[in-house]
Amino acid sequence: MTSIWRRQSGWATPTLFILPAIILFGVVIVLSSLQSLWISLHDWDGMGAMTWVGLDNYRELFGDPQFFVSLKNNLIWLIIFMAAPPAGLGIALLVNQQIAGMRILKSLFFVPLVLASVAVGVVFTWVYTPGFGLLALIFSAFGATAPALLSDEHFVTFAVVFAALWPQIAFCMVLYLAGLNSLSSDLIGAGRVDGAKGWNMLRHVVLPQLTQVTFIAIAITAIGALRSFDMVSVMTQGGPFGSSSVLAYQMYEQSIFSYRFGYGAAIATVLLAIMAVFIAWYLSRIIRAEARS
Amino acid sequence: MSSLELRQIEKRYGGYRALRGINLRVEPGEFIVMVGPSGCGKSTLLKSIAGLVQVDSGEMLINGRDVTKAEPGDRGIAMVFQSYALYPHMTVAENMGFGLRMAKRPRTEIDAAVGRAAQILRLTDQLDKLPKQLSGGQRQRVAIGRAITRSPEVFLFDEPLSNLDAALRTQMRVELSTLHAALGATMVYVTHDQVEAMTMASRIVVLNAGSVEQVGAPRDLYSNPVNRFVAGFLGAPRMNFFEAKIVEARLGQVSVETAGLGRFAMPVVANTPLAIGDTATIGIRPEALKLVGNRDGAHFSGAAQLVEYLGRETIVYADAAPLRCIGSDTGTGNVTIHLPGIAQLETGASLQIAFDPANAYLFGGAEQRTLSAPKTI
Repeated sequence: MTSIWRRQSGWATPTLFILPAIILFGVVIVLSSLQSLWISLHDWDGMGAMTWVGLDNYRELFGDPQFFVSLKNNLIWLIIFMAAPPAGLGIALLVNQQIAGMRILKSLFFVPLVLASVAVGVVFTWVYTPGFGLLALIFSAFGATAPALLSDEHFVTFAVVFAALWPQIAFCMVLYLAGLNSLSSDLIGAGRVDGAKGWNMLRHVVLPQLTQVTFIAIAITAIGALRSFDMVSVMTQGGPFGSSSVLAYQMYEQSIFSYRFGYGAAIATVLLAIMAVFIAWYLSRIIRAEARS
Repeated sequence: MSSLELRQIEKRYGGYRALRGINLRVEPGEFIVMVGPSGCGKSTLLKSIAGLVQVDSGEMLINGRDVTKAEPGDRGIAMVFQSYALYPHMTVAENMGFGLRMAKRPRTEIDAAVGRAAQILRLTDQLDKLPKQLSGGQRQRVAIGRAITRSPEVFLFDEPLSNLDAALRTQMRVELSTLHAALGATMVYVTHDQVEAMTMASRIVVLNAGSVEQVGAPRDLYSNPVNRFVAGFLGAPRMNFFEAKIVEARLGQVSVETAGLGRFAMPVVANTPLAIGDTATIGIRPEALKLVGNRDGAHFSGAAQLVEYLGRETIVYADAAPLRCIGSDTGTGNVTIHLPGIAQLETGASLQIAFDPANAYLFGGAEQRTLSAPKTI
């Protein structure tokens, strides 16, 4: 027994260690993705029999104006969310200064991270409330009337993204703070001796040491923008008239409220395909980085 | 070539006084090596000169210009770090030219300066490589090249050779001395390696607990240390120290008595604070001890506990009870003897040991100052 074990342990030990993760990943990610793809080829109400419809769900999807509204909104999310990494870096640089009172400020910037995003959504819904919300109070201080952001189809997506941006910036700030703490003090010293100050120091000495952090911040922010769901669900339920819906929310709405699991699965599959682009970019960079080291 | 002057430099970290009133004048073209045990403040002092550490009080002048409050980049210094601190994303040429680029010098001037430095350091073929493609020794040379390119008034080195292997370290030591001779620049060099200090320095500064203990040429410091600390710090293997009692005190001479060594007379400086009955410390360098054939000429005897053959020299650790060394690293009380060549000795061999009292040191008083008469070099 022991001799068999010894002979096989070259591959057996690593396999045993990887097995739990493989099984979990296989069941939760790969199997459910495949099942979702399978469902998307059927007409199904979630309980009854599944009817094979081939690519009909996809044909309907690409003729559905709501799909393109959601897709456009996801694009808006993605573009505006890209403000989170630079904003997070800016705040991290600010609170990283050795000034009295910075600890308190730093912990204040941490707040949105510990809040549930549902709570953030509720808070911002209050802020946007016409009449007595914070925004309305600010506008009335200047003698103006605040627009009802969440019921205006042109502003609503921007209002929701803005609310979601808050915790996202805080998240990027934490990433950059960790990165700033691991900067080499000798390199900073060398930069100072070489006469680099302010922008030059940031551009030529600090930022090059933060490329890994920046990469992670951008990748996670992009995926966060694409899978946004909770804020839309809490603040607008996709309204008014679906104008603030995103792909993830539309999928949920079609599946749960309209009992159209096949159609919902088709949306999920398209979303997965879009995300796969970013995930492939992320993985290829990580694999290249590992190959280098 | 520029001078550097430090006046009453003080630095505190909270309640801890890292630098305690440092005064030092470095003449143009000098190679100053600062040595001291870990935590003595030598690196803090170097970083203060660089401006990377802001001092609490005191003045710092480079070529007579007050730079105490100046930014590191405006002081006219260049620094070589222990970790090399090369910018990892820049090529060798970009690393070396970065200082001039920050100073907004024209492209042609930067290229010329980088080319010159690369030629001196034999880096011409490496200019387009990234630091990670270089060996440790090459990276070290790039760091030195980066300093040369800025043509600073004062070069600062922070333990630059401690990350290199022994063979490369010896080679770089020679290269740095050659470089100093070629550039004629003022250099301040921090190290904990006393071989580097002894071989490269015009003058050595010995630091201890944030204060300068002694400044002087290597030979002076070795032969005439001002106190027991400097005597114990310079020289490897370390000086043997024995506790002794003063049994007779006359002008210019005292007699001391030690358990195991007996009584002998030593020439001392004119005004010693010593009186009969005081305790003092006798110091004898391992190379001042000799093995003799019989008991008659010997001062003490012992048994070899450990024999280290180093080829051209042999180091013997001897148990010479009742004579016991104090303050030794090992705490065994063994006496260290440094013999030239290969001494054929077995462990446990009985040894008869002698020395010339004129080669011994006497330290006494509250600060353990050197009280024995100065040695002629």
